[in-house]
Order: sequence, then C-alpha cells, then structure tokens
Amino acid sequence: MHAARPSPRKTLLALSLAFIASAASAQTATETELARKLDQLAAELAAVKAQLAQIQKERAAQPAAAPAVAAAPAAPAATSSAAPSQPATVLTSYGEINYNRPTRASENAQADVRRFVLGYQHRFDAKTKVVTELEVEHAVSSADDPGEVEVEQAYVEHQFTPTWAARAGLFLIPAGLLNENHEPTSFYGVERNFVETAIIPSTWREGGVQIVGAFDNGLTVQGGITTSFDLTKWDATSTEGRESPLGSIHQEMALAKARDLAVFGAVNWRGVPGLLLGGSLFTGNATHGQATTQSRVTLWDLHARWTPGRWDLSSVYSRGTISNTAALNATLVGNPTLIPKSFDGWYVQGAYKAWSHEDYALSPFVRWEQFNTARSFDDLGPGLTPEAARTERVVTVGANFQVTPQIVVKADYQRFRENKDLNRVNLGLGWSF
Amino acid sequence: MSIQRWLGGAVSAMALGVLGACGGGGGDAASSASLPTQQTMSAQAQLGERIFSDPSLSASGRQACASCHVETSGHAPDNDLSVQLGGPLLDQQGKRSAPSINYLSFDTAFFFAPDGTPTGGFFWDGRAASLQDQAAQPLLAANEMANPSKADVVDKLSHAAYAEQFKQVFGADIFSRPDDAFDRLTLALQAYQREDTGFRGFTSKYDEFLRGNVTLSDQEMRGLALFNNPAKGNCQACHPSAKAADGSFPLFTDFSYDNLGVPRNTALMQNNDAGFYDLGLCERTDLPNRPDLCGAFKVPSLRNVAIRHVYFHNGRFKTLKDVVTFYVQRDTNPEKWYPLNPDGSVKKFDDLPVQYHANVNTAEVPYNRQPGDTPALTDAEVDDVIAFLQTLTDGFRR
Repeated sequence: MHAARPSPRKTLLALSLAFIASAASAQTATETELARKLDQLAAELAAVKAQLAQIQKERAAQPAAAPAVAAAPAAPAATSSAAPSQPATVLTSYGEINYNRPTRASENAQADVRRFVLGYQHRFDAKTKVVTELEVEHAVSSADDPGEVEVEQAYVEHQFTPTWAARAGLFLIPAGLLNENHEPTSFYGVERNFVETAIIPSTWREGGVQIVGAFDNGLTVQGGITTSFDLTKWDATSTEGRESPLGSIHQEMALAKARDLAVFGAVNWRGVPGLLLGGSLFTGNATHGQATTQSRVTLWDLHARWTPGRWDLSSVYSRGTISNTAALNATLVGNPTLIPKSFDGWYVQGAYKAWSHEDYALSPFVRWEQFNTARSFDDLGPGLTPEAARTERVVTVGANFQVTPQIVVKADYQRFRENKDLNRVNLGLGWSF
Repeated sequence: MSIQRWLGGAVSAMALGVLGACGGGGGDAASSASLPTQQTMSAQAQLGERIFSDPSLSASGRQACASCHVETSGHAPDNDLSVQLGGPLLDQQGKRSAPSINYLSFDTAFFFAPDGTPTGGFFWDGRAASLQDQAAQPLLAANEMANPSKADVVDKLSHAAYAEQFKQVFGADIFSRPDDAFDRLTLALQAYQREDTGFRGFTSKYDEFLRGNVTLSDQEMRGLALFNNPAKGNCQACHPSAKAADGSFPLFTDFSYDNLGVPRNTALMQNNDAGFYDLGLCERTDLPNRPDLCGAFKVPSLRNVAIRHVYFHNGRFKTLKDVVTFYVQRDTNPEKWYPLNPDGSVKKFDDLPVQYHANVNTAEVPYNRQPGDTPALTDAEVDDVIAFLQTLTDGFRR
C-alpha cells in the first residue's frame, strides 16, 4: 500500500493544464500570422454560412427536424452537407498498415495489415440511423492464421430532441481521446499510445443503451448501462493480463456473460473553440456469480486537447481498479500473472503542423507516456504477494504526413525505459473515410 | 416534466436498480463442478456397476475390474506392487502399472492437436479411443483377466447373478449374439464410469478451496504457489490447477504425453531382458514411424495422487516424496536415480535405448538443469508441494 503523496505524474499533468490555461490568455503572434489566421477564419466562416443555408433549405423542404448531434462521432462518415441530399446508406472504412522494426532485436521486425475496417451507416429517417463496423485484424483470419474478425460497433441511434439522443446495441465507450476516434488519421504515431491500449482497452466496446446529450454551450454528456468485464477469463498462466489487464478480460459482446452489468458516464466540454476537456467513469461488477466473491472493475479518465493555431496538444490520465482481488488471486498463487488491484497511466503529447501546402501537411510530434499495468496487488500473505510491476515509460518522436485529410503516412521512433528490447522504428499508412 | 428531466430520471432509476441488483446480490458460491450427490444411474450404468465388481468374469474367477481399480485408492490398486498380477493363476506380471481411472469421463479419443501435441486416448499410450474401448482389453489380455475370447466372457456373463437384468436391458436374445453381448458389456462399464460420481467427485479440499468454502493451510498455500510457479515446480504446465473461464474445475492433467526418462524398474520381470524396452506411444501400431514419440506416456491426473501407491507407467516409485524429488533432482543428481556404468558414469535414462534419449524432456522447468545445479525445489519445498498434493484427495470433510 503506498501512502498518498503528490506523485510526479499528477504534478506534471497539473502543470500541463496550467500551461494551457495561461497560454490561452498570453498569445504572442506576429501581425502576418494574425492576418493569416483572420483569412483562415473568414474562409471557414463562409463555408459554415454556406452549410447553414443548405441545411435551412433542406429543413424548409422537410418538416421533420434533423439536427446533427455534436457528440463524438463513432466513425467519420462522409456526410458532406454540400450534397443536395444524403445517401441513406454510407460506406465507411479505415485501414492501418504498419511496419515495426525493433532497433535492438531486428529479427523481430514485422509488417502487418494491422486493421482493415469496413462499416456502414444507414439512415432510416431524419432521426434514426444504424452504425456498424466490421474489423479484420492482421489480414488473414482462420484457425491457423493470426488474424481476427470482429464486429466493432453495431448500434442504432435515435435523436429524440435536438439535444438528446439514445443509442442501443454495441457501441464504443466514451473514454479517453482515442477510443471513440481511433481511426489512423485521428492520432499521432503509427501505433496507438499505450495508455489508451494497455489501460483503456481501445478499441473498447460494450453492449447496452446510452443516452447522449449535446448542449449548445459545448457540453456533451453521455451515460448508459452496458455489459461489463469478465474476471473469470483471467488467465494467470499467460502474459496477456500483464500487457493489458482490461484488454485480457473484455468480452466484446461475444457470448458475453451478462449477469453483472456496468454503468458509465462521460462529460466532454468543447465550449472554447479548439479546446476539449473531459472525463469518464466506468464501473461494473465482473464475476457474474461465477467466482467465490464479487469483484468490481472501475476505470476512469481525464483528458484534454487543445489546438491553438498549428499546435495540437493533448493529455490523458486514466486509472483502473479491481476490488476483492485477494480472494480471486488466492487460488492462483504462484502463477506469473495475478490480478492487479490497480493500474494507471498518463501521457502528454504535442504536435505542430510544421508545413502545409494545399492538402499536404507535415506534423511532427512528441509523446511522453508512463503507465503501469500492475501498480499494486492485494496482500496474499508473505511470499505469495506478487511485486508491483515497474512503471514503463515510452517516449515517441515522429511525424504524421497528411497526404489528404483522409490519408496519412506516419513514421516514428519509440524508446522504452524498462523493456529496452521494444525500442523500435515504426512506419505506417492509414486511411479513413 | 420536460423530456430531459424524464430521461435523466429514468437513467438514474435504471442505474440505481442495476447497481442495487449488482451490489445486493451477495457472493454466490462458485458454480460447482460436481453433479447431484444423490443420483440414479441409468439401467446400463447399474449393470456396469455389477459387472465392474464381478470377479467371475475372469479366467481365474478371482479378478474383477474392481480388484485393481479400488475406489478407496482413487480407483487405482490398493497394494504397492509396481504392476498387478493377473492371468489364470494370478501370477502373471502386467506390463505397466494399473492407473487410476478417475476423471476419465473428460478424456477424449487420441488426436494430434494443431501444434502437433499428442493428446487424449485411454491407457498409458492412448491406444483405446473410449472408455468402452478400454474396458474390453483387460478382459481379454492374457496377463490380466485372461479370458480366451469374447464368447468366453459372454458365457461367464450369462451365468452371472445379474444375467436376467442384462437380458432385460439389452434384449432377451442378447446372449445368442456373443459379439453384441460383449459390446453391451463394455458399454455398460463405460456408462457406469461416466455416470457414477465416485469416478469424478470433485470433493477434495482443493475443490472446496476453489468454491471458497475453506482456506488452505500456510504450507498447502506455499505448495500451491510452488506448483504454479513456472520458475519453481512448473507443475501446472502439464497438470493444470486453475478453474477454466467456463467454470469447469481443473483436472490436473492436460491429457497430453511426456517423456520423463523414468528409471528402469528392475522389479518388472520383462526388464530382465536387457534388450526389452517399453517405448510407450511409438509402440502403437496405428502410429507408425514416429520415433520422436518413443518413451512418451500419458500425463495422469493428480487428483487423488496422494492415496495411490505406485507412480509412473512402470511403477518405479512408491512415494510422492521420491516422485517430486526425482522431478527436481533427475538432472542435478542423476546418480541418485540411475545405475552406474562399469566406468562409474551414470547410466541416465536407462529405460530408453540410446537413440531415444534425445526424446526425453530436458527443456521445461524443473528438468532443465545440469549436474551440480541447484534443484528447482529444496527439500522443504518438495514437502510443501506434497502437502498441496494431499489436498487433491476426494472425500474431504471439514
């Protein structure tokens, strides 16, 4: 048990948020930069005015109201409002093709069609649509091949009022910055960051019902009841649980045990243009009456993203806890991977659009992240209690090169403090539409 | 009430309801793997029970299945002979030790897993595809129940006290069809072994521990930890000890095969012939040309291991202390287990021809050591593991 003391990561996060807040009021830009920004704003305003005129024309033609929800989009559908009428069915897709080369163990170099995703959104009427996504991982999926095919999303959304909508089905949990917006064009670096894969198990989806409220002041609230994790799946003999505790026990609504359900809530505020602040909480029992004790899994996060001018700054902190792990671990003593009591991680990331010309844009970035997938264990007795894992620190330096807004080429170098054999150079191609 | 407030209220009510349900449900006991304690077996199984204990079905008239598979010893022999005696005069040595036949209803026919691992099958070499298949062989083996033919067995069956019952279940004319009658006999034995909870009780202290009803002692917990630790005992690599995600309780065997290089047992008369070797899996006629499987024998379940009297396919060891110590000191102190050559060197793996010594498992913990290395378990740790193994005996009473 560690005493509460100001830990370095929390101090750093507080400092980052303070920096963002203070910088917001102390802009220093040259006159030409100001003029350029004014031109950009004027152009964007003209475009928005045109879109508004279009929407008002459509609304006049159809009596039913169909406002777009300002909630985080599940998939970047190609809903271009410049078209006179929307197709009822829209195909969506994204893909990631990655190359990894460990610098100290080049025999482990690997090239992989990491993800190939096809989805569709079908609009039944102005208020109702269905959103689906099917994913193939690692190119070939069969009994003898490493790939997997999975349904990532399958939900129906209905807009009850301009503010409130509901979703039912299999949907993404609004946690962190990456989970709901996980397309390769929306994050920096070839691989998704560790905080949002090892701690928040992106791409994390649960089945259930969700209410989404999008307010005019920029606030979006989401909440719902969904399936939960399954702790009886924990495999103490494998390393899966050490790589990602929740990733090893998520059910993905595949014959999911559903005696225990979970509730979640998320709040995101986009009141100031270019600034996003938010947080989420997910909690649910996870033993479904099939273990000797009840145990609750809780995961929460705080996140911020600020995009002033050419900068793109973001930060996420997330922490998960599991209750009653002593009772669950009692029958697993001696195995290499017992159930941790807590796990957490955080990162800060800065990207800068250094060069752009028409659609092309080059954005170098740096990301500093620290995470621990077994921060603490419940006491099991002398000689039986596992040691806490060492906190891993990863620094990623690289760049995203945008070929078009929907195609990105990425390269980066990642350096690990603990597991130095994982130091690697990554190259990636991604698209999303 | 505005729709926002209604929705908000509904969500909170649902959330409270769910949380209340989750929180107030109480800790249910784990789903037990055991079947109803009081059960009626089918007619076939009841016949099987009588056949199982009937010594008249042997050439000697004194040997039934139950003679070697004694319930109080985990359905294994209750004497400490390395191999049991059979034949018409009960003086013929068997080839291999009589194993426990508990928990075999979970076994399958032999197959090669996708990664090539031999798995399943009945007998030490997996040659029988089912309990029914297995039951037939001791009845007809010359050094076991020694019946000359199936017809002979059926003839004895037709004079048994339960012959009428047999005819009622399988047909009045069944004895006029000896081959069919023999098949029904073995089918009844299979049904008995599958249905009688005495063959898969899951009533050990460890099962109660898995159900959360009892705690293990400090020594037993240490033993469990050493059993599971891949760097110490690493026993669970072949003898899994954890509940599965579907709630099924561990069987302490993965039904695979391993070659441990068990020392030759001079108590077996077949070993008086220096050129004789029991090669196990590769001797099967249906597995031709698999020299890599020579010396491999089935991984038995460790349930009830503490009440068995002999261990390994050749009954070479009689105590758990010897067995567990052999595992960790086979390679660090080979002179303790194998005879010496005339030149003083250790004749390691003396129960295998030299060309098959490479098949012996020397890669996995704990048998990945060299002479002079520290064994994976100290003497006290061996005792801890044995204390844990003793929790696997069925019939635990708190």
